[in-house]
Amino acid sequence: MRVLIAEDDAETARFVEHALGELGHVVRRAANGEDALHLGLAESFDVIVLDRLLPLVDGLEVLKRWRAAGLGTPVLLLTALGGIADRVAGLEAGADDYLVKPFAFAELAARLTALMRRPPMNDATTRLEVGTISLDLLKREVRRDGREIYLQPREFALLEQLMRHVGKVVTRTMFLESIWGFHFDPQTNIVESHLSRLRSKLNEGFASDPIETLRGVGYRMRAHD
Amino acid sequence: MTRIWASAAYRVAFTYSAAFALAILLLGVAVYYAADADFRVQQDVGIAEESAGLFREYEEGGLPDLASAVAKREAMNPADGYHYAVFDAAGHRVAGSLPIPRPDVGAQNIQLTDAKEGPEAVRALVSALPRGARLVVAIDSEAVERIDETILSLFGAAFLSVIALGIVGALLLGGYLRKRLARISGTAQAIMPGDLARRIPVSARGDEFDQLAIALNAMLDRIEQLLGNLRQVSSDVAHDLRTPLARLRNQIESVLDGPGDPQLHRPALKRALAQSDSLLALFAAILRISEVESGALKRHFARVDLSELAGDLAESYAPAVFDGGRTLTASIMPGLALLGDRELIAQAAINLLDNAQRHTPAGTAIAIEVTENSEGIALAVADNGPGVADADRALITRRFARLEASRTTPGHGLGLNLVSAIAAAHGGTLAIEDNHPGLRVTLLLPKLPA
Repeated sequence: MRVLIAEDDAETARFVEHALGELGHVVRRAANGEDALHLGLAESFDVIVLDRLLPLVDGLEVLKRWRAAGLGTPVLLLTALGGIADRVAGLEAGADDYLVKPFAFAELAARLTALMRRPPMNDATTRLEVGTISLDLLKREVRRDGREIYLQPREFALLEQLMRHVGKVVTRTMFLESIWGFHFDPQTNIVESHLSRLRSKLNEGFASDPIETLRGVGYRMRAHD
Repeated sequence: MTRIWASAAYRVAFTYSAAFALAILLLGVAVYYAADADFRVQQDVGIAEESAGLFREYEEGGLPDLASAVAKREAMNPADGYHYAVFDAAGHRVAGSLPIPRPDVGAQNIQLTDAKEGPEAVRALVSALPRGARLVVAIDSEAVERIDETILSLFGAAFLSVIALGIVGALLLGGYLRKRLARISGTAQAIMPGDLARRIPVSARGDEFDQLAIALNAMLDRIEQLLGNLRQVSSDVAHDLRTPLARLRNQIESVLDGPGDPQLHRPALKRALAQSDSLLALFAAILRISEVESGALKRHFARVDLSELAGDLAESYAPAVFDGGRTLTASIMPGLALLGDRELIAQAAINLLDNAQRHTPAGTAIAIEVTENSEGIALAVADNGPGVADADRALITRRFARLEASRTTPGHGLGLNLVSAIAAAHGGTLAIEDNHPGLRVTLLLPKLPA
């Protein structure tokens, strides 16, 4: 996978570049807005990490021009702490995701992976299946090995999210955003407590646990249980 | 002069009096010309009537009668009256004393040269009599000129006194305005070096200057409050970040000084990572509070259904609370909404719910309530735990407040402070009361009219 990082802070850029390289991605870096604008249009990338504040041309402006030029590559916008009000502006300019600095690398990696292989938006999907687990979005029904499992709405949403991203990490904050609509970290354990309930309901009577916990990072649904 | 002209107050006052003087001048000119024209018309009417009377004498008795009538009138009239002259066709004077040669017919101004009084202008009507004779009736223009002069001098005096009074008035008014404004700029100059407590004096008159002073003083109050806040944050940050940063530093140092086996470093590095994460969380919380306090988020305010939000949170929290060995019940009046930021309100409620779990023993019953009263809508989180002593209740909303009893529980002491900032940003208040037993924290917010 090819990743473009538009980030002026050399330290942050090197850290992200190195860590993404370890994961087997090819990384190109732009240190200012002008280079980013040019590189983004000249070469083809699978995902772009764009800093909100860039020298020469502002990150938001770069994004707007990319989108105006018809560039559809998923873009993750990075912003400094305390810029909560910026989020709306970022999404309006065409960002696909948003991350507040400083961030844990695992969080960035999970979000980039989710963005890179984002399946073409298919709202017609009404049924998700992973291994022996099936989830029917219309009937709001979950079965494992044919046996029905009764879930609360939030637990259902958590499972749906995991199954949509099967094999990929979903972080705590990704859950908070998509299920609770919180774009901040309330420093609380609601994700953990709902997930532990989901897990115990899903695993009751089964020997294996299809949901992996990655400490300090998030959760991942195994493709085969 | 340039300095005075540079002052807006003087400029306005001077311009005003100059405009007034100009108006007087225009009025004077208009009156002068109107009066002059009017007098001259009257003169013409007078000499025409006089000529008509003499013409009747001529018709009755020819030149001799006219001559005697002229002589009689000249003898009767004082010097300022009419002057006459009658000439025959040959140009010889037949009667009258007006010292001019035989003129042409018509109304005209004639310049006389009097040996005694110097040149003198008269207005004359020359009528043609049969057989080439001429009758001249003239009147001295001096009277008109005197009236004209009087008008001119009256208005001239008025013009000059308006200018004089205007200058004096402008100086007084300009000085007054400058004095009032100097109080404001004086205060501003006193504040600039750092004396933020200074305020503009406000008089009892309540005029525009006082209103301006009141508005500026209110602004200064707000600025002082925001600056005080900022100062507080900076010193809190300096104070509360120093200790954990020093600890982090020591940890890293001890790893570097310790044995070279990387495997032995892992636990210390993990601790250091956790430490920096909690530092970042603390930092984020501080920034978030200042963001909320700055009021910048108000632009994004929209309708928030508090009943729905609280119900949602109660549902989301019940499992976590239950897992912690406590119970959570909700009692929510439906359909209560406010104007605000959904995520901030959610954050406030989450902080209150977290506090209720963190500072109470297992077995505590926690309740979340949304009610409406005359003052607005209230979001309350109550518990039947140990509560907080009366004296400590005012303390706990302060930044970094950690009561002795909670030194060992996790948290950075900013939770309630953030709730209080969120309440203030929404125009609401935070009340902390005794729940008999336990603690009841109520967020009172203004209701959005349906």
